[in-house]
Amino acid sequence: MKMKWLSALALVGLLLAGFGAPNATSNPAAVAAKDIPVGVVLPLTGREAKPGQFQKEGIELAIKQINEKGGIFVRELNQKLQLREVFYDDGSDQAKSAGLAERAMSSDDVVAVLGGYSTALGEAESVMPDRYQTPWITTGAAATSIFNRGYQWIFGTLSPVDLLGYTTAEFLGTLVDTGKLRKGLKVALALENTDHGVDYGNGIKKWIQERGGYFTVVFSESFDLGSPDFSGLLQKVKNAHADIFLADAHLQDYITMHRQYVQAGLHHTMISYGARGPETDARKALGDATDYIFAGIWWSKNLPYPQVKKFVDDYKGFTGREPDSWYAATAYEAVRGLAAAIEKGGALKKATIRDEMRKLDLRESLLPGQVLRFGKGGQVDTPFVIVQNKPGGRVDLVYPKDAANGEAVVPPAAQK
Amino acid sequence: MDAADFVNLLVSALLLAGIYAAMSVGMTIIYGVMKIVNLAHAGFLMLGAYYVLELHERLNIDPLVGSVLAFPVFLLAGMLVHWTLVKRIPVSDQPTLASLLLMFGLWLVLQNIGYLIWGSSDRSILTSRTLSSMHLGPITIPTVRVIVFIPAVCSLGLLEFVLRKTWYGRAVRALMQNRYAGRLAGIPVEKMARLTFGVGIGFAGAAGGLLAQLYSFSPDFGHGFLLRSFVIIVLGGLESFWGAAAGALVLALVETFSILVLPAGYQPAIAFSLLVLALVLLPGGIAGIFAKKHRWA
Repeated sequence: MKMKWLSALALVGLLLAGFGAPNATSNPAAVAAKDIPVGVVLPLTGREAKPGQFQKEGIELAIKQINEKGGIFVRELNQKLQLREVFYDDGSDQAKSAGLAERAMSSDDVVAVLGGYSTALGEAESVMPDRYQTPWITTGAAATSIFNRGYQWIFGTLSPVDLLGYTTAEFLGTLVDTGKLRKGLKVALALENTDHGVDYGNGIKKWIQERGGYFTVVFSESFDLGSPDFSGLLQKVKNAHADIFLADAHLQDYITMHRQYVQAGLHHTMISYGARGPETDARKALGDATDYIFAGIWWSKNLPYPQVKKFVDDYKGFTGREPDSWYAATAYEAVRGLAAAIEKGGALKKATIRDEMRKLDLRESLLPGQVLRFGKGGQVDTPFVIVQNKPGGRVDLVYPKDAANGEAVVPPAAQK
Repeated sequence: MDAADFVNLLVSALLLAGIYAAMSVGMTIIYGVMKIVNLAHAGFLMLGAYYVLELHERLNIDPLVGSVLAFPVFLLAGMLVHWTLVKRIPVSDQPTLASLLLMFGLWLVLQNIGYLIWGSSDRSILTSRTLSSMHLGPITIPTVRVIVFIPAVCSLGLLEFVLRKTWYGRAVRALMQNRYAGRLAGIPVEKMARLTFGVGIGFAGAAGGLLAQLYSFSPDFGHGFLLRSFVIIVLGGLESFWGAAAGALVLALVETFSILVLPAGYQPAIAFSLLVLALVLLPGGIAGIFAKKHRWA
């Protein structure tokens, strides 16, 4: 008898853990006619928990600010309505992420769903919006494959990853042009085995092909996401005798790989882990070993726009700390974009919101270029910025020149 | 590949094998005596990692010492888990669904306790030896891997000594061979099971502490190592300690050297492939090959 109870309890526990219970803000019973429910599906547990948390904070800050101003004016109702977050933690699990996006769209009657960090989880969610004809704005998935499938209800506040690769190579090209690097250097690529990694590699190779003679790719291989051991891959990188090491990795893999990189005694003139580099967790875990690593990111708190300074101050007031890398800003902008679309359309009909999102031209955006506009496939096309870790925990924005607050530095050790 | 590269990879594989063996021996001993597949193993690896981190950050205790200290603490925790939960599972000669569900549920509970206490940030232990390496001519050996390898192998040697030379060890081996005969011979099966479960969890906690010196970790830590532990104990023959050590060596060698012919992205498939091959071709594991000549357990 006791065993039956134990088994039943365990099954209930598994079911609860498997499907994830929404928090208090998501209780469908609490749905009131006088608010605008917005679904948010992000990882707060699992391997993507940290960026997921930052993105949630960005979304909640934007919702708080909009609601403090009374909400969004909906013309057809002739009243202002507050935004209400319906949050689900997908546990960094693809199947769960898709299931929760579906649940938000089908059961919670939300007007739109935000979330989908990272590319792998965003890809899983991306099949749902067209099925349920609900606008979906991914705040953390950037692979072009998501936006090239002809979906009509998807949007994204991250520029394509191939542009990240392209900008990375372009930045290195400027170092050649300014004499900091010499022409003809050899590049080793280590790419995560996702569409994100494929796009990153393609972007780099595209720039190198367009500008013959700058760099040569001598090694390019993919690695498994979340692998605990990269020593074999790094041995191959070592054998490639490249001058520049460019990896495309998520935060956890960046920390693990770079730790093993240093332990293996590897040295390259320039090192990047794609969109990762300045994160506080990584700098704590690796100390000075992260100095001079550069990263191409979608946003930087060092962008010289007044709205960015205000956002950084507001975020600090909201969370007690400054934004860690780009995560919160793209999520914040997704809410602003959605709010603008609802207000412009003057209705809560999903098709109206979707149509207004397509036409959106939001000025004073936090993103580089200061305009939030969704392109043909629903993805923004804002430029990337390059940041570089400097000694003492400093992070400088080093590219493009007109936004830079510091000089790109080739590590002193590499110059010897 | 030149000779130096080969030796580099070989050393890397051997160091990896040591930590793999220490990590999987806890599962082996629990399965051997109780026929329970400890799915919560990853949860205890994770807790071991955080235990060592806390000792290091709060009391400035060296992580290596912390790993040694983790063993008795997790041994007691394991005995408590056995006393409160595991002993309620019906005794069987085969793994049961109830035990699988219980241990899986326990793993989820441990994970969520981890999230409650430490949040979701990636944590890691940074000491003076974390990023240093030793250079022997063209061969580069990460210092921390050697430092971790030594206690891992010593713990296996100590376990072997205990199993061969003490009454407890002989009783464990007897129970692994035949639980009922052991009971008839006067072995207090319940007490032995509790202690053995504790020892298994003790090894998991200590191994978690050692792994924490090599990798960053979060409450989600341990998935990949759980799969590897499965492969190792199946390769080893489920109930054999030296079989598990041999399984760890085989897995580490295959994982490390396969990278020369396969892209790194296929690395997870290697462990799965080995698991399938072992189940189909070596149902008795590596230990089974030698079973006719010599009893390994």
